[in-house]
Amino acid sequence: MNFSLFTRHSTLCSIFFGCLFLPISLSFGLGSSKILGDISWLDILGEGSLVILSAIWVLFVLVSRPPGKVTSALVIGLSLFLFSACLDLFDEWMHYDNRAAYLNMFESIPAAFGMVIMSYALFQWHQELLIVNQQLQRRELNLRQHDQVDFITKLYDADYMREQINDQLKHSGNPTFSVVMLDIDSFDSFNRQYGHDEGDRLLREVSELILMNLRSLDLVCRYAGDRFILLLPNTDRVVAEEIAEQIRKAIVHLAYKPSRGNNAVYHSLTYVAETASMEDKIAEAILSRVNRRLDLSKQSISAMAI
Amino acid sequence: MKLNNSKTINIEDKLLPAHQYAASLFDLVTSRNVNKHKLLRGTRIFQEDFKSDKMLSPQQLLQLTHNANALTPGNDCSFQLGRRLFPGNYGAVSNALMYSKDFGEALRLLSILRNQICPFLEGNAYSSIDKQYLLIKDSFGDPTLLQFFIEVYCSALVSTSKLLYERRIPFNFSFPFQRPKHIQEYEENLGYKLAFSQPIFSISFDRKWLHTKCTHRSDSLKWYSLKQAKMSSIPKLGFLEQVRKLLMKNRQLSLKQAAAVFSMSPATFKRKLSLHGKTFQQIQDELGKQYATFLLQMQHLSNEESASLMQFNDIPNFRRAVKRWTGQTPSQLRLT
Repeated sequence: MNFSLFTRHSTLCSIFFGCLFLPISLSFGLGSSKILGDISWLDILGEGSLVILSAIWVLFVLVSRPPGKVTSALVIGLSLFLFSACLDLFDEWMHYDNRAAYLNMFESIPAAFGMVIMSYALFQWHQELLIVNQQLQRRELNLRQHDQVDFITKLYDADYMREQINDQLKHSGNPTFSVVMLDIDSFDSFNRQYGHDEGDRLLREVSELILMNLRSLDLVCRYAGDRFILLLPNTDRVVAEEIAEQIRKAIVHLAYKPSRGNNAVYHSLTYVAETASMEDKIAEAILSRVNRRLDLSKQSISAMAI
Repeated sequence: MKLNNSKTINIEDKLLPAHQYAASLFDLVTSRNVNKHKLLRGTRIFQEDFKSDKMLSPQQLLQLTHNANALTPGNDCSFQLGRRLFPGNYGAVSNALMYSKDFGEALRLLSILRNQICPFLEGNAYSSIDKQYLLIKDSFGDPTLLQFFIEVYCSALVSTSKLLYERRIPFNFSFPFQRPKHIQEYEENLGYKLAFSQPIFSISFDRKWLHTKCTHRSDSLKWYSLKQAKMSSIPKLGFLEQVRKLLMKNRQLSLKQAAAVFSMSPATFKRKLSLHGKTFQQIQDELGKQYATFLLQMQHLSNEESASLMQFNDIPNFRRAVKRWTGQTPSQLRLT
């Protein structure tokens, strides 16, 4: 697990630990312990697991979300619930005299408040996700699978694209989408000259540029190595080639600055567009077609260079 | 005939420099955010070793590869490693290959210097009229890593050919495992001439490449690099390679006779083989399978020709042996 976000929540952490230790000191300070025969171990088991699990939930929120309104509301709501759950747990051991009887009456109130705050937080979270979905447009279609995201470019990988193409083939009797394969020219020699970290950064920048040049319903994934793949729904080959040409022009004008030296390095791109046909039953058919054509045009380019 | 044991590298011999394969793998994997301590766990390698002249054993490299394979996200770790290996940190060996006259010479140099640059796989070259074949086997008998190493060194081979000729040599690859889900990495790194679920692992290409001139050829630079590379302390052969060489010369050799050639008792010889993950019978069977597949499937020779080339005296015996090695009869094998 990655705990780097944890350090950015100092206020929320103190609220969480406050809600954990305040009930402990309250009940041990004000109450006196019960005799052993009166303790119901089954209750302790049930209420104890509530305490432990809600504490784990708070920790998960803290390590996975950056600071913000939604994060604060989630943590405060869960912490209030934790507060009640702790009081509930400790009165299994402790017995309060009349002076502190209000603790028993009072113990469920914070949980109710906590639940209200949590509900508000979940509504806000829903709103936030709608925004995030928009930000992710062109990176994903109607399916979210975080384990299929490529490590370097944060685009989805070839498996995801294959599933999406299969989905398109399944749901439309007469497929009308196009697939474009893009390949950066002489990426290998760039890697050798500037190192692999620079190569990885170049891939990230190129993926951003491709994203910028796509329409809102298109999808881009990293296929393999320096190869990217686009899925363009409701698009014929002419429009697909037009879009690919626009991306090629954008890449040609990208003045990439390696971290050593100020000289810009320019890149070119080879692309091939294919439209799905009635005969395509699986993604593999159309993918192998565009791959082969791309290889042929790359070979003719290197032959011309020689 | 006696063989000198100091001329082979065993799985425990600390003879391979840490700054080559291990350092490339370490850099690649840690650049993918993999925890360094988890990566080095159980390998008895320390991070400082990569900067020093420290030598590692094949066993340590295998453990490191195991960890890397398990921990790295994505499917392209092996292919990316292959692309980085050459020219990489191999110095004189890389230079010697780089300045070769043609691909045939590069392969001859590779057969002399193989243990320095590719200690995990070993191969034999065979040729027909128009094709050159490389039949390849693992050197340390770890079946779980075989696919990883195949991916590494095939993509290294392709990227080497790109360096030598500024374009890819169109290799045909036959792999002994099923078509993997991450086929796109194979296509991107190795091309489209791929066959899966084959009896043996082999690479083939047109013989004309053996004599096609390389872009950077230079005789004097090559001889100089070769001289330097030959000063390396890494033995030319691996232990299993030595055993296989012996058995290829004389197929009928028994375990006892083979042990005697290595000046060992049969028990020690057996123990040493099992340290490399093999039994004597296994090595014999693998060799038989490889040669029979080559003769029948790739060369389409008749049973009689194949049997006599493989030192079999009668055909039924040969048919039974082929069936046992490959699960197919000779005629089935010829049809695939």
